[in-house]
Amino acid sequence: MLELPAGHIVRAIADAAQRWSDADFPPRVRVTDAIVQRTGYSMPVVEYALDRLFFELTSDALKDAIATELGSLGALDGFVTRRGKPDGFARGLDRVCIISSRTTIGVGLVPAIFALCAKCDVTVKDREDSLIAAFFETLREEDDAFASAARARAWRGTEETVDLEPFAAVVAFGKDATLAQIRATCSPDARFFGFGSRASAGYVTRGALGDSGRVAGISAGAARDLVLYDSEGCLSLHMLFVEVGDGKQTEHFLRSLASATQEATLEFPVGVRDPVDAARVANFRAVAAFRAAGGQGAVYSDDACSFVLVYDPPKDEAPAFAPRTLGIIPVHEPSEAIRYLQRHVIRLEAFALSDARPDLVNAAISVGAVRLAPFGELQRLPISGDHGGRPRIADFIRWIDKEI
Amino acid sequence: MSEYREESDALDTDIQQIIHAWHHHGTTLSDRDFNQLALRLFAYQLRYSQPYAQYCTLFGITPRALPTRWEQIPAVPTDVFKDVPVATFDPSHCALAFETSGTTQGRGGVHYMETPVLYDAALLSGFDRFVLPDGAQLRYLNVVPNPAMRKQSSLGHMMAAVAAHRGDGHTGWYIENDALLTHAFIEDLSAAIEERLAVCIAGTAFGLLNLLDTFEQKHLRFDLPPGSRIMETGGFKGRTRTVARAAFYGKLMQRFGISSNAIVAEYGMTELTSQYYDSIESRATQQRIKIGPPWMQTRIVDATGKDVPDEIVGALVHFDLANRSSAIAVSTEDLGARLGDGFVLLGREEGAKLRGCSIDAEDLRRA
Repeated sequence: MLELPAGHIVRAIADAAQRWSDADFPPRVRVTDAIVQRTGYSMPVVEYALDRLFFELTSDALKDAIATELGSLGALDGFVTRRGKPDGFARGLDRVCIISSRTTIGVGLVPAIFALCAKCDVTVKDREDSLIAAFFETLREEDDAFASAARARAWRGTEETVDLEPFAAVVAFGKDATLAQIRATCSPDARFFGFGSRASAGYVTRGALGDSGRVAGISAGAARDLVLYDSEGCLSLHMLFVEVGDGKQTEHFLRSLASATQEATLEFPVGVRDPVDAARVANFRAVAAFRAAGGQGAVYSDDACSFVLVYDPPKDEAPAFAPRTLGIIPVHEPSEAIRYLQRHVIRLEAFALSDARPDLVNAAISVGAVRLAPFGELQRLPISGDHGGRPRIADFIRWIDKEI
Repeated sequence: MSEYREESDALDTDIQQIIHAWHHHGTTLSDRDFNQLALRLFAYQLRYSQPYAQYCTLFGITPRALPTRWEQIPAVPTDVFKDVPVATFDPSHCALAFETSGTTQGRGGVHYMETPVLYDAALLSGFDRFVLPDGAQLRYLNVVPNPAMRKQSSLGHMMAAVAAHRGDGHTGWYIENDALLTHAFIEDLSAAIEERLAVCIAGTAFGLLNLLDTFEQKHLRFDLPPGSRIMETGGFKGRTRTVARAAFYGKLMQRFGISSNAIVAEYGMTELTSQYYDSIESRATQQRIKIGPPWMQTRIVDATGKDVPDEIVGALVHFDLANRSSAIAVSTEDLGARLGDGFVLLGREEGAKLRGCSIDAEDLRRA
């Protein structure tokens, strides 16, 4: 890999991704079925996820992302001139391990690709669906050099251990306890990047509620952010704050959101819901219905209980974090949203905002959000964007400054 | 006498008769009789419990439009007990008020009962039939809170009643301010063994597991006198540590020197008045089947509230005629599958599928 120009690696990855962008590409067909089996998501949800994943992996997008972080793609091949700095060479770390337990579809693939672009030797603990292993196989078909540099094998959970000592960097996704265990087994010199439990929120201002032209768009976006991946992603919409204003406007928004969620459910149907989730969702709805009957809040759902929107749940109650359930919390100002998030010690990944109002942006930053996005884009992290507040490739290289 | 009092007393009398008949004669209840009393009780609760009545209107059920079958009675979710008093009477006049542990969200609920009569009758009859079918008089070593110090614990109340009526006069309590009194337990257990007195060790799964940990650390092993038994309850709901049931029972058998038959799991909840137990026949098998007294029925439902077929996992909805002063029907997030005359209980931890990206509800809530 070290001999290959970065541009060649990027092209090979982009070419492989283009083949995977075809829904009829046989390896994709096989993996799609396996992902459906593993996750219980419906086929349209999985297809959408794979489209999102591979459509974005174009040569230009990868080059742009790398150039943005490193200054140029060429820095990966040798010393380049840098403004205000000595000449620098972005030399990839020797060995990188990516542990993709408990991730949604393909989350482990993106860091693997950037580590490969950095010419690292990459080992991925893959999920049972073997998505990454299958993609690596396609990479090998593009260039045999990937055969020795990109390895993936199925992850069998905590019963399987792996020796992490030789790796210069370890990227891990999973539960906090799992991350702590993994970190403890890394070499002391290794870089460790853990992506633990995070949630995302949304905030709709009263100004947006009063703009009937925007309500439909916000509703459609929020609905999509809610239903995709059954609320299981760190970028799923887990709670929504709505500024109190005109009661009729709020009610109009709630009806619009319910209708949009129903439509999003048609586009992205519920797959196989396991009994635990089914019971939690049903209970969430029943409790809210009981409260609504007593005059507190409102509930929007459908006969199949495929989604549940609850307006004005008790503020001392943490979000349900159940599939396709959403608490819509009325607030007078962003500080109330902050108090809610702090009260429930919710570690935030992203905030979908209806407006870039300065007080709102500051509030989102103050609660630790690392991404501010419009509704409907929450789950569409661009390839050039920072995941979890971290760069894409810079973590996999060491800069060598040449001052001679 | 008020109309409410008259109706309440009449219901209590009828329910007590059913409990008594089963307790002392094994008399069961026909579906027709269960249905009749269930509908009568439900109609009564609609009249006197406003929150329940308001909820039922969502299903088109009012005092003028009542269901015809007990299965159609809307169930109150257990979480609602955290929000409002679910009671047919003024809760400030309650005889018993049991608090839930607030397992997952740190918000506890309260089950108010107007009279202790039904609770005590139900608990004693169930315990006698399922734990003491041999009529044994045992020494009770309770790894549960002492109701003298924590009267809001339904489990404590239950074991106090059992020990008072069925014990040998020497009862031990080994949970104090949430601390496990391991040393006292070991002392008392050793004394009972020395005297060859059969014991009943009653405790939550989590409490018993902590005991086992200590035994393991201290390399302790006991041989309980013949006739001894363990009543385990509570599972690992809301706990960060869980142990597979088979492994847990294996450890109990090994450390206490008893057979699988001598371990009885009780399944109850604060929001119910009556309890389920492992059927006697299933205790030697891998798959323990929960059965209840005849005044209890269980539906196992999917997310839409429809009954799932036998052997398919769904959420449990309980109907307890002894819940006279609260709600006859209570829905839960507990999972089970109908098998034979009862159901197999699957804890949330056993049914939970580990999947997801980087959200984990337990992690987020615990943070």
